[in-house]
Amino acid sequence: MFKDQVIRFAQKEIASRSSDHDLRGEFDFQSFRKLGEFGILGLHFPEALGGSGADVVTTVLAGEALGEAGVDGGLTLAYGAHTFLCADTIFSHGTDLQRERFIPKLASGEWIGCMGLTEPGAGSDVASITTRAERRGDRYVLNGNKMFITNGPIADVAVIYAKTEKDLKHAGMSAFVVEKGTPGFSAGKNLIKMGVRSSHTSELIFEDCEIPAENLIGQEGAGFFMAMQTVEWDRSALLAPSVGGMTYILKKCVDYAKQRVQFGRPIGEFQAIKHKLADIKIFIEAARSLCYRIAWCKDQGRPLNHLEAAVAKLFVGDWSLAPANDAVVLFGGYGYCHEYEVERYFRDSRLAPIGGGTSEIQKRIISKLLQWT
Amino acid sequence: MNFDFSENELSIAAKVKALLGPDSKDFLARGESGDLQQTRESLLQWMNRLAQAGYFALGLQDGKNSVPLVATRESLAAVAPSLFLSVEVSTRVFGRLIAVYGTPDQKAALLPAVQDGRLIGAVGLSESGMNLESSLETVAVPAGQDFLVSGTKGHVVNAPIADWIAVAGKTNDRLAFFLLKADHEGLSIDERLPTLGYDGIPISPLSLQNCPVSSGSCLGPFEDDEPLRKVRSWEDEILTAASLGLMRTALDAASQYARTHKSGGKPIMAYQEIGFKLAEMLTLLQTAQLLAYRAAWMAETGDREAELLGRCAKVFCAESAERVTSASMQILGQQGYLRGHPAEEGFRNAKYLQIAGTSTEISRVKIGDGVLERG
Repeated sequence: MFKDQVIRFAQKEIASRSSDHDLRGEFDFQSFRKLGEFGILGLHFPEALGGSGADVVTTVLAGEALGEAGVDGGLTLAYGAHTFLCADTIFSHGTDLQRERFIPKLASGEWIGCMGLTEPGAGSDVASITTRAERRGDRYVLNGNKMFITNGPIADVAVIYAKTEKDLKHAGMSAFVVEKGTPGFSAGKNLIKMGVRSSHTSELIFEDCEIPAENLIGQEGAGFFMAMQTVEWDRSALLAPSVGGMTYILKKCVDYAKQRVQFGRPIGEFQAIKHKLADIKIFIEAARSLCYRIAWCKDQGRPLNHLEAAVAKLFVGDWSLAPANDAVVLFGGYGYCHEYEVERYFRDSRLAPIGGGTSEIQKRIISKLLQWT
Repeated sequence: MNFDFSENELSIAAKVKALLGPDSKDFLARGESGDLQQTRESLLQWMNRLAQAGYFALGLQDGKNSVPLVATRESLAAVAPSLFLSVEVSTRVFGRLIAVYGTPDQKAALLPAVQDGRLIGAVGLSESGMNLESSLETVAVPAGQDFLVSGTKGHVVNAPIADWIAVAGKTNDRLAFFLLKADHEGLSIDERLPTLGYDGIPISPLSLQNCPVSSGSCLGPFEDDEPLRKVRSWEDEILTAASLGLMRTALDAASQYARTHKSGGKPIMAYQEIGFKLAEMLTLLQTAQLLAYRAAWMAETGDREAELLGRCAKVFCAESAERVTSASMQILGQQGYLRGHPAEEGFRNAKYLQIAGTSTEISRVKIGDGVLERG
């Protein structure tokens, strides 16, 4: 099975490097390139553009496999931002020229991509972004700041959302490709984070940054629609590594519960420990079902069901915290130490209810949709 | 897995749904009267209607049509929770037991009536509390070609109104099921037990005192206790679907109320305290549905993880049902606290789902064991 191949590859080539990069807070360029060589970064793109033409369910399984192999949340987050938020936006909405220029190098990992939507003053309320893109002849001039941008400091290519009509909200948003080295475009310092530490996160700064007009992705005013389309990936392929990671942690917990002896017997024989193992397993299976469902629907060509997408994000985000905590508790004092990976997973998992739309925003979406049904 | 249903499956689900109009509450009203004859007549009437709608065409054999069966079961469980339990115990516990483990003669004698909804069946498993231990104390002593069966069973759903009861016991330390008619010599069916929830459910203990049972009315003896575990897993499947039904009703009642009840000049759903609670309820329902479907699909395809997934689904769905029904009552305020309101009823019913079948505590121990074995 393809998933098993990915697990074996990631165990051999990547997972052993994860702890070190997490502790040092350094991006693992070597592993990222390996992901490209193996075909993970461009899995769902056509072969002509350097991909493998895989369907969404296969792509989700690949992401799950990375987590299951023990790859840290930092690298899988970087992969998600690169492939789904950046490359896929160009692939899905860009011109042939944009696709041919960017996708092969993004799929191979030669270039790293990021996506800039959130701003210091605009997070969940995305339509309130203030970054401006002003048309001047055959160029756009960008001014503004983006915040918490995964891969920001290391990206070669950025998909940036900006207002082309400042007085309009959603309909005033447009998307652009901005390349590293463009005058007026710079990245802030890498932010030190609680978890997903091997991914680099920073502010992006645009000061009279001039880009060619052909760097507009799709039509002016279509940016919000594009951002929302990435939600399908966000609620399936981007959640999958987190679910896979929990499977990895469950395996660690089982190993520990078998070898750790207290009161003359392995702690796995105590019901309180079995209870924790059961709760972790239940979370994994419930979360997995949600991710597969979103992916399967996308493969059927169905329009995104925003209710189901929000449900998946809310569940995986909120309900992952308790089993992650259970894993730390099961390991006792060791679980609190960097040396044991449950500690890293615990820190990484805390992002799940925050990134990509907070749990509160998901509840807001669901409750609004419930009002209309 | 394929998340879609076939035309035929959708057609059966639609027919069952069409049956469940306002008069479906009639069964509950009659059942709550305490008149067992009325309960029995109402159940037979409903089983006949369900049979005609194709409800029993799904899943009489173990593992067949499992996924659409979950959806169809949810529809019935949402509208008539007590009826649902009685119908399912009769057909997909008693009936399936005959279909899977019965002899050709037993199948020919009983299955047509089960499938047509003309026969009410019950299965006696538990002996102490609500839990099932494999060390059954109900014993069948060989007496020539026959057996003399003695023992007690507690909390047997449908026992007070059943035509046939299958009783689990041991003979020469091997598991067997013994088929008894309701008026069988030596069989005493105690009075219906009052319960916290599932109003009108006919449930009672029974005792057997040297019950003579012919070998032709015996299923087994079996090599091991696997059939016992199977029957318990069928019960768990039913309770999983029952959980989905309770959640659906509780969510619908709360959503409807939150849309129409106003406070401060606007519907209470517009307040985040209420809207977010509804969002959490829906999240639990949809997650529970998908997990139940996936567990059913794995059972149908014979996946080696199927049993473990079934346990995960049972725990998650049953516990979610308690959370969702509780939240529903909270949203509905004092209306939901009134006797007979769907929220109040659901709140009382939900506790049963964690106790009956394999309790959530035992399930977690077994899930933990399964995870440790595989690790």
